[in-house]
Amino acid sequence: MEKQVTMPKLRPEMERGVLCAWLKEEGETVTAGEPLFEIETDKVVNQIEATESGVLKKQLYEEGDTVSVETPVAVLETK
Amino acid sequence: MITVYNRSHDPFYNLAFEEYIFEHIQDEDVFLLWQNTPCVVVGSHQNICREVHVPSLRKLQIPVVRRSSGGGTVYHDLGNVNYTYITGTDGMVDYARCMQPVIEALHAIGVPAEKNRTCDIAIGAQKISGSAQRMCRGRVLHHGTLLFSSDLAVLDQITTHRKNDCFQTKGTLSDICSVTNICDHLAQPMTVEEFQERLLDKMLPPGSARLELTQREQAEVCRLRDEKYRSWEWTWGMTPAFSYEKSGTFAGTPITVRYRAKKGIVFDAAIDCAAIDEAQAAAALNGARLDPEGFSAICRALAPEQADALMDWLL
Repeated sequence: MEKQVTMPKLRPEMERGVLCAWLKEEGETVTAGEPLFEIETDKVVNQIEATESGVLKKQLYEEGDTVSVETPVAVLETK
Repeated sequence: MITVYNRSHDPFYNLAFEEYIFEHIQDEDVFLLWQNTPCVVVGSHQNICREVHVPSLRKLQIPVVRRSSGGGTVYHDLGNVNYTYITGTDGMVDYARCMQPVIEALHAIGVPAEKNRTCDIAIGAQKISGSAQRMCRGRVLHHGTLLFSSDLAVLDQITTHRKNDCFQTKGTLSDICSVTNICDHLAQPMTVEEFQERLLDKMLPPGSARLELTQREQAEVCRLRDEKYRSWEWTWGMTPAFSYEKSGTFAGTPITVRYRAKKGIVFDAAIDCAAIDEAQAAAALNGARLDPEGFSAICRALAPEQADALMDWLL
């Protein structure tokens, strides 16, 4: 099953965040709890962890892109 | 709340020390105080060359260190005191929760400090402290500067006057703020050492553990310092992708320098200038690491008589 991973909203005022770094490449296996990507907003760098296990099927943004909150940034193929 | 003493003033060691504590102390809140000899500390995803004038820093022998938290570029010297507060988090960004205890401790030792903007502490309208955070695995590392008696003229020169707009980059940009030193606002004078002792006493509840790293742990910190914080891969290789273009006059003739870089590796590089062997320049730059030492060697090869002048065109 395909699951979308979105840009999280980390403060009530947060409108967008920067996807700074991918910590998994497309095609890589991801275990729930493992960091998937890193975002920056308001001087906070936050490692976003996968909530489910699967394979990272698609990175929808490049490193450095600014993304609105709750927008899908990755597609995870789960079992 | 516990503390771990760190008496080193080496910025590379100190950032490794902080990371080591963040990674290894999982079940306690931690408060650290530490100081660096003169250095520039940039945010995790910043373009160093855009934020500071790298050739000038090389001449002044001021190192640039990349930290793992977000935010902008700061200048540290021994008049600045850094604090680190490590605690649990529900994943939501909350600066006030981390800054309020520090502001209260500052009040208790006679510093009329107030929260300002999202993550600054100020006296009146002038900033004395900026902060940034890193979050992972349900823990937050909040750290900030406290300007006690820093050389504000040097700070201003380095962090505000040499922004380089030749870099088109997606990285995090720094804010420019009016700043002041805490020592100029004290009713009772104190030294920077007394300031740290009093601040630590106010931050730690009575009876809190005050620890030192063992020799084995210090060796681990040194390993992290060498493998990460002193490495090209971390400091320069983490530079967000950018394109660079600068035109003007070099050695009496027009010059245009263009290049792009991704993961710190230069490509699409060209120098248009009658005074430079353009084929040699393209060959030397394409595939080169974004690195002041490497760029300096390339400049010496391309223009032996005017290497320093050429360096200003490349970074």
